Parts: sequence; structure tokens; C-alpha cells
Amino acid sequence: MIFLKFDRRIFQHFDWTLLGLVLAVCAIGALNIYSTGFSAGEGQSSFYLKQIQWIALGLIFMMMIFFIDYRVIIQNAYVIYGISIMLLIFVFLFGYSSHGSQRWLGIGGFALQPSELMKLVIIITLARYFDDHKSNEPYKLQELFVPFLIILAPFLLILKQPDLGTALVLIFIFVSIVFFMGIEWKSLIIVSTGVLISIPIAWHFLKDYQKERLITFLNPENDPLGAGYHIIQSMIAVGSGKIFGKGFLKGSQTQLKFLPEQQTDFIFSVFAEEWGFVGGLILIIMFMSIIFWGLKIALQARDLLGTIISFGITALISWEVFINIGMVLGILPVVGIPLPFFSYGGSAMISLFTAIGLLMNVSARRFILQR
Amino acid sequence: MKEQPNLLSGQEPPDFRRKFKIIGSVFLIALSLLLLRLGYLQIIRGTEFRQKSENNSIRFRNLKSLRGLIMDRNRVVLADNRPSFDVIYIPNKNKGNELSIEKLKNFYRTKSLEFLYDQSVSPNAKSYLPVKLEKNVDMEKVALIETNALDLPGIYIEVSPIRLYLDGEMLAPVIGYTGEVSKKDLENSAGKYAYGDILGKHGIEKIFDSYIRGHNGAELVEVNVYGKEIKNLGRIDPVSGYNIVLNIDADLQKAAGEALAGRSGAAVVLDVRDGSVLAMFSAPSFDPNLFNSGISYEEWEKLQNNPLCPLSNKAISGQYPPGSTYKLVVAAAALEEGVITSDTKVFCNGSYTLGNRTYRCWKKGGHGWVDLHKAIVESCDVYFYTVGKMLGVDKIAEYAKRFGFGGIAGIDLPNEKSGLVPTKEWKLKRKKSSWQMGETISTAIGQGFNLVTPLQLANAYGAFANGGTLWRPHLVKYIETTEGKLYKEFLPEKKGELKLSPKTIEILNGALWGVVNESGGTGKNAKLSGIDVCGKTGTSQVLGLPENEIARRAKRLAAFQKDHALFACYAPLKNPEIAIAVILENAGAGGAVAAPVARRILSAYFEGKKKNKKQ
Repeated sequence: MIFLKFDRRIFQHFDWTLLGLVLAVCAIGALNIYSTGFSAGEGQSSFYLKQIQWIALGLIFMMMIFFIDYRVIIQNAYVIYGISIMLLIFVFLFGYSSHGSQRWLGIGGFALQPSELMKLVIIITLARYFDDHKSNEPYKLQELFVPFLIILAPFLLILKQPDLGTALVLIFIFVSIVFFMGIEWKSLIIVSTGVLISIPIAWHFLKDYQKERLITFLNPENDPLGAGYHIIQSMIAVGSGKIFGKGFLKGSQTQLKFLPEQQTDFIFSVFAEEWGFVGGLILIIMFMSIIFWGLKIALQARDLLGTIISFGITALISWEVFINIGMVLGILPVVGIPLPFFSYGGSAMISLFTAIGLLMNVSARRFILQR
Repeated sequence: MKEQPNLLSGQEPPDFRRKFKIIGSVFLIALSLLLLRLGYLQIIRGTEFRQKSENNSIRFRNLKSLRGLIMDRNRVVLADNRPSFDVIYIPNKNKGNELSIEKLKNFYRTKSLEFLYDQSVSPNAKSYLPVKLEKNVDMEKVALIETNALDLPGIYIEVSPIRLYLDGEMLAPVIGYTGEVSKKDLENSAGKYAYGDILGKHGIEKIFDSYIRGHNGAELVEVNVYGKEIKNLGRIDPVSGYNIVLNIDADLQKAAGEALAGRSGAAVVLDVRDGSVLAMFSAPSFDPNLFNSGISYEEWEKLQNNPLCPLSNKAISGQYPPGSTYKLVVAAAALEEGVITSDTKVFCNGSYTLGNRTYRCWKKGGHGWVDLHKAIVESCDVYFYTVGKMLGVDKIAEYAKRFGFGGIAGIDLPNEKSGLVPTKEWKLKRKKSSWQMGETISTAIGQGFNLVTPLQLANAYGAFANGGTLWRPHLVKYIETTEGKLYKEFLPEKKGELKLSPKTIEILNGALWGVVNESGGTGKNAKLSGIDVCGKTGTSQVLGLPENEIARRAKRLAAFQKDHALFACYAPLKNPEIAIAVILENAGAGGAVAAPVARRILSAYFEGKKKNKKQ
């Protein structure tokens, strides 16, 4: 009896708005990937089909997560965290490389990128930790030590791959959640000073190409080749779209393959070239809607756990949207961060849909949970 | 410890909503920033960027690095670089560039120049990518295109360095050649190579490619509608490759090449004191410069179909029965194993009978009573049949392996072959049949299954000459940076030891000296006045070759049955310096044909030494 009631109500509060927004972005993304492969040779041209498969698979994951009460999931957060760390270690040991970075695990013909999943795992693990250690006072430095260790391990493993972009996203998620939970002023000052001092040390450990990218960003005159080339071509592509764009499949920069990695990290420039400012405006507004919807879910969640989870997921999406588009528009350095729901990639898509499943989970259960 | 669930609803801290308002505002500001930037690029600067994209105005240009020089031991440059002028065409439909090719043809016609557009250069090229119309054109075409540049939009000259081999044909077997990266290499390179890169394809160029190649640079330029550069957006200078200094002596190499002129075969000259390769030639050779800017199909076919295999380095890839040069190994084995002494005598009546088979000595009438010295000097086969039977094939094999046969010598060149030293076990495994005594008889005079490369032969005689050290032969002396600083030196590397007693060495030294210097010696033709040359002739029958070898040479049916001529030697007897192996395919008797070739090389070496002393 209880179960049935449960079932009915959870569907009653199914978050169609969120799903609609996400699917709309995915659909535009798939069309856009079709465009990047349009004038390419065989093999490349089927990216959009694969992307649609990833979206479908993502929906399945979303539904699976949706049905399990998020508190049950969070109870197992540390186990999930442990498994994810193991996966990252497997990548380190047995993973295969592409573009000079060892990020993938081959599993039955599929390439799994555990670092993508780690973004979500970090959110639920931190949610579990802060829920276990709630406090009405701002957190002190020593209280944040364990959460710091929680992100340190995956951060280092991912940095080692090397995948600076994903590693940075982990840091951003951590910082966002810590700020959200509240941090003591004194501790904040100590940490900031510590970070400022450790930057030169961290610099030492960056790969040459990563340094190059950062230098390129900080001083574009320094290396207009390589990374600079990407930025210049990307800006030409975006700018040449003007207000209304060149039209679907008609972006010359895109079709002429001047842009590198255009179906993944630089996908937004393809879109902006073909659909112009109007298209870009609409897409950014759609992302903004998803983000504000996520914040709304976080605010209305029935418990702190739900709030942290939804806030973490929203922060993840926001950071990725902001960094990716900022990079394409030449106001942020080129780090490999995909545009959520838009860039080509299976692991990211599944991870993101799982995140959406969690958001819906929190959203639907805000009416169900009783005191 | 936990109260589950702890709900915040209704009892949220007072600043909870405020917190969300702040976060929301931050997100709003961040995304608005993106919109502002988007508007700036697309609305304010849109027209400018649209134009840039239409002119396809940003061009990424590869700047090819200079390959490092390859020099001989006296720093004589053997491989250099020179500029190659290529005609490039960038189609751009917007500007009506497609007329340019027709116009170019017309310009050529007025000067009666031929337009050599090679479709194969860029097949399936995308309509917007630069096309290489002609490679390596002469100055007349360069001048014509440069002076008419304004009438030929989309066509321009690109300069890039290509290899220049000085005296290429002499050094091709050693240095190899370069060529554009192949499609296969490109796919397997994991991003190491780019389309159009020049790689070492053979020889030293291939093995040391990573040192020689250097790093390509690149240039990012903005061009105007006519393809003229209007702004340099940045440049990474190419880095030249490192120089390779060989152990090869260019003069000696030339002498070897000339001595082998008109023949098919190989010669290897080693320094017996450290295994450095002073000369290595394979005849016939080819001009490696043909490959620099892409060899034409006809020329490639001609080289490929030449039955004398000019593209293969016979000094390391050619495998031949060693014939009587192998008697050094058998004699050493017999003395060391105590099967014979220097006084052991055998009567040679011109043939040797085992069961119902008769094995002939090369001298029909026979040598009469022969001891070891005479058997080597006059190359008596019957003597060695007898000794070989006493030793057994596996003992011979054991010593042959000590001399470095049956395994690669480990030279710094690609495609070295290992030759073959037969044993009972080998035959059982490979031929699925047991060893026959008759086969031991053949093995003892270097026939039968035995196969050696000229390099192995020279190295074996070199090891014997220096008292028993088998060196790993090496071509490269050192690698230096572009500035001439020593980067990596290749020191002599010991591969093994012969472990022969001084007595054995003394006896055999005497016999090998006799081969060249005594009246009845088969190697008289290698005699050099003033220098004590020691050596051994060999004449190996081709008919005993394995089937695949016969098939390889079947193309020259008329000649292929003729014997191979071999000669291996070292000099001087006291404190030997060099060892030489010469093999001439299907040329006849070793003493008559191969020994004179060795003599020319020996004389060039000692002449050169004298000259150097005077200087």
C-alpha cells in the first residue's frame, strides 16, 4: 500500500520542465554534431548517431537513479567513491591513451572515461560528508581537512592522466560546496594564502603543453601558434556568424575543418558560426534556465542532503558551461572541458544524465519525505 | 549520532534564501559576461570576422626543419640539405582562383615548359586545402611564377629543405634515403608525424631518424585576398637535427664502390681493433637523391624490378654459402678440439667417398698428401671433408657461432639478416628429417645449408685477426648537436670471444698468410707489396642454395648458376688493422675475381694511411 502511494506520487512530481530543457539542449547538440561531420569523411560523419545513442543510454541511467531514493544512494556514497577511485587507478594502470593523455578504460568495446563519472561521485561524497557533519557555524580549517582529502586523491589521479580541465572542475566543485556550506573567515584567509604560495610549486608539475596553454591565455602574444591558433580560429568562427549565423551546415570555418576538436570542446563555436548571436543567445538562456531550475530544486529540497546534492550538480553544470563557452570565446584559457549535454562524448553524457536523475530525484521527493 | 532525516524545511537559517540569491546573481553575472562577449564578437566585430573567414585568411604554415648532416670519419659531408621549390595552389571559389591553373599552363607553354601536375601528390584533396601542384621545380619556373604572381591568385612558391646526397650512389647502401611520410606511418605514428613530413626511409637515415630529423617549426600568418601575407601572427622556428658522424672513410668507401663497379655483390671493411665499419658497399647501388622529392613511378619500378636488387644492402641482407672461407672456422675447431694437429696429414686424390656418394675436391687431380697448412693455402676440400667428419656438424656449429655466424652482428642498420648455421637439432625442427653425414661433409667446406652475410664474414675474420675479440660492428661514431657539441658517442662494444689458444691462432695466421703470399696459394691476387695480407678464398656453389634464394635470383637464369666468388682477409699480419670481406654474386672463382677486388680496397686503405701520415 505504502509502496503504491510512493510510486504514484513520485510520478506526480516528475520534473518535466527540467527534462524538457535538457533534452532540447541535447537535440540541438546532436544536430550540431551532425553539422561538424557533414563534410567530413566516413567514420567522422556518424558521431551524431552515436551521440543520440549516448543520450538514450543517459535517459535510462537517469530513470534508474530517479527511482532509488537519493538518501539510499548517499548512504552508499563512500562505497561508490571507493569504486570510482579504483576505476581511476585502473585507468592509470591499464587505461589507453589518445592525444597524449591516458584517460580511457576499454570495457567491451566501449571507452569509459572514469574521470567524467568522478565529477558526480565527488558531489555525492561531499554531500554525504557534510550531511554527516552538519553545523550551524561556518566550518573551520581542520573540519575541512577530510573533504579536502576526498577530492585530493581523484584530483591527483586525473591530473596525472593528464587532464587539467577535469581536475580543475573537481576543485571548482569542492570550492563551490565549501563556500555554500560556509567557511570561517580566518580559515579562508589562511587557505587563500596557502594556495597563492603553492601555485609556483604546482606550476612545476604541469606538463609543457599545459603550461603553454596557460601562458597562451595569460599572454596571447607569447604563442599564437598551437593553442593560439585554436583560439584565433575559434573566434573567427564565432564572430563570422554575426547576428543570424551562416545557416545550418553552412559554417565555412566548421565545414572547412579549421577548428580542432570541433565536435567536443569547441562545439560551441560551430553552433555560434551557423546560428549566429540569436542562436548563441537562445542556447545560453537555455543553460541559464537549467542552472536556475537546479538552484530552485536545491532551495526547495526537503533536507540538507538534497540541497547539497542539487547545489553541487548545478555548480558542476554552471562551471562547465561558463569555462567551456568562455574558452571558445577567448576569455578563458583552453582547458579540455566539454559543454554539458552539447559536446560529443559518452561518459560525460551518461554522467550528466545521472546527475539530472539525481536532481529530479531530489525534486520529486521534496513532497514525499515526511518529518 | 545521526538523526535521519533531518529536515530543514520551515527551519532554514535566516540567511538561507539570501545565500541562494547571492549564488543566483553570481551565475547570472557570469553567463551575462558570456553573452556580452558573444555580442562583441558577433555583432561589433562580426563583419571583420566574416571577411577573415571568407578569405580563409589565417594560414598555418609548417616550417620544415633541416635534417642533420651526415659526415664521414674525417667530417667530409656526405648528406646535406638544399632548398626545394614547390608550386602550391590554394583553391578559393570566392575569388575565381580556378582559372589560375589554366593561366599557369599558358605561361608554361610560352616558355615551352612542361606542366607536371602530379595527381598522386594529393589525391582526393578537399577543395579548400592547399594542393601541391609540382614538387622541386627548377629556377626557370620559380622565376616565371614569381614575376606573374598577380595574375596567378592562389598559386605560389613554397620553399622547403630536402636532402642532397653528395656522391650519393657511393653511399646509398649505408646512408639510405629519405622520403615523405607514408600513409601507413602517418596512421601508426600517434601524432608524431604530420602530413608531408620527411622521414628517413632506409639505412642510417632511418635508424637515426629521431636524431637527424629535428623539429619542424610553424608559422601563423594572415593573408589578404591574393594570398599575400599581411601579418605574421607568430612563428616557432624549426630546430635543425643533430649531425651524424660515421666511422666510414669516404675515400675507402669510394675505392670499394669502384672496385665493385659493374658487379653484383658486396664488400665490407672493418677496423679489427674496435669493430667500426670503415666501408660498406653493395653493388649495384642507386642514386638516393631520386627519393628526395618523391621518386617517379617509372624509376621506382625500374629499381624494384632490377634482378640485381640495387635497393637491398647485400652486405647485411645478402646471405650466401661461405664456401672455403668457412675453412678457417672448421680448422680452428679441429685444432682446438684436438681432432688434428698441424702435422695431421690426409691424402687427397681429388675425391672423397662416403657410402655410395663421391665428394670432389676442386682440384681434379688431387693435392696428394696435405697437412693443415697446405690444405688451407691450396684450399683442399678432401682434407676438410675428412676433418669435418671427425668433428661432426654440431661441433662445427659451436665454433661457427663463436665466430658470430648464425646470428645478427648487431650493426646499426635496418634489415640485417642472421645467416644460418645448421645443426642436427635445427634440421630436425625445420626440415623434419634427421641429419645425414653427407651434409656434414658439405658443411665442412661452407656449402650445404650454411649461409653467411658479408658483414658476418668480415667480422669473423676481424675477430680472428685481433686475437679473438668479436666486436659489434658499428657505423656511427658519434652524434653531435647542431652547434657541434658531442651528444652521444658510440664506443666499441664486445659481442663475444673466440677463445682460441695462441697456438691455434699462430698456426692459422701462418696458413692464411700463405694463402695470399705463397706460390701455391689460392689468394695470390690479393698480395700487396710491403704489406702482409692474410686471407682465404671461397667459391660457393649456388645450386645448393635453398629454394627461396634460387627463386629470388631466378630472373637472371642465365647467370644464376654460376658460382659466387668470395674473399675474406685481414692485414697487416702483425698488429692487424682492417678486415675485409668481398662477395661477388655469380662471378666465378674467389681467387680469380674476389681477391683482386679486396686487393684494390687494401691498397686504397694503406695508400690513404700513408697520405695521412705525410700531411
